[in-house]
Amino acid sequence: MKTISKIAGLLMITLFSFGTLSAQGGYKIGDEATDFKLKNVDNKMVSLADFKDAKGFIVIFTCNHCPYSKAYEDRKIALAKKYAPLGYPVIAINPNDPAAQPEDSFELMQVRAKEKNFPYPYLFDEGQKIYPQYGATRTPHVFVLKKENKKNIVKYIGAIDDNYKDINDISNKYVEAAVDALLAGKEVEVKTTVAVGCTIKVKK
Amino acid sequence: MRIKNIVLITALFGILALSPGCKSEKNNEIKVVNFEQLEPVFTKNDDVLYVVNFWATWCGPCVKELPHFMEVYDQYKSNKKFRMVLVSLDDSDNLETSVKSFIERMNLKGELYLLDDIKKMNEWIPAVNPDWSGAIPATLVIKNGQTLSFDAKELSKEELLERITKHLQ
Repeated sequence: MKTISKIAGLLMITLFSFGTLSAQGGYKIGDEATDFKLKNVDNKMVSLADFKDAKGFIVIFTCNHCPYSKAYEDRKIALAKKYAPLGYPVIAINPNDPAAQPEDSFELMQVRAKEKNFPYPYLFDEGQKIYPQYGATRTPHVFVLKKENKKNIVKYIGAIDDNYKDINDISNKYVEAAVDALLAGKEVEVKTTVAVGCTIKVKK
Repeated sequence: MRIKNIVLITALFGILALSPGCKSEKNNEIKVVNFEQLEPVFTKNDDVLYVVNFWATWCGPCVKELPHFMEVYDQYKSNKKFRMVLVSLDDSDNLETSVKSFIERMNLKGELYLLDDIKKMNEWIPAVNPDWSGAIPATLVIKNGQTLSFDAKELSKEELLERITKHLQ
């Protein structure tokens, strides 16, 4: 009996360490997300803590150059317009190093934000300190956070919806469903999704 | 239309039957497929080492690494236990306008596919590899349904060779 519980214990430890190993890549559902202080396109620094009345956040790692990010631009704007008044503002963060992807420089972020009149902050992850903590691997990559006891808890990780190409043929609006559930005090049903996207660009 | 297709398919089979074992060098025909059509590459028990690369014309690091893949392809193409499969994730609407000309310009060889299965990304991305978030480029080395390596990043020629040479005689 003792041996069995020992083996079980060992197995648990093994499983646990595997769990943490894979978690090195970033947050899992239920983790507390870090706050940050990043420069917005208006040159002001922005933190999640600035949004005193927010119930949570739709954090989107996105950029200028990626065709998928571009394809979702109007949908990001629509998300911000719909959910910021409901307490879930969109926070866009460009995680790319402009030395590796010149189109994603801070100056060109400012140009794009002005052109499209972004209704949300578009922040620059200068020094690329924040995206690895979240575990973002591509653009666009969404993290829906909910404020619980002053902590920002990760509730959804993944894609905005299931069709980047044709907005008339979307079957699952993942982010909307997640935020709607949180607003209704319910559990998010689909907590993680994957989608094709551009790798985050790091200078070698 | 349907009859025309049948005639075409029959003709194609005829040509294939007439040229047994003829592995054409100029092999840059691209086929538009869904994941089910691509899946055998990931499961086949044929002792062949498959190098599978997911790319797109708009993906900078993909465009940078593809010449390395072609050099490696040229090195191993005569090895019957080696196959290279390049899977474009471009929008199928751009097949004629940009993908085909890109293939020509880059002189891409091996087996070329355009995976047109947007709505099922949440099925095939984890099926390709459970650790894949969908970021490209992504490269797998597979043999007999076993994934020997998976990289969701740009590979140098040395890195690619390192992943395949130890599995090839």
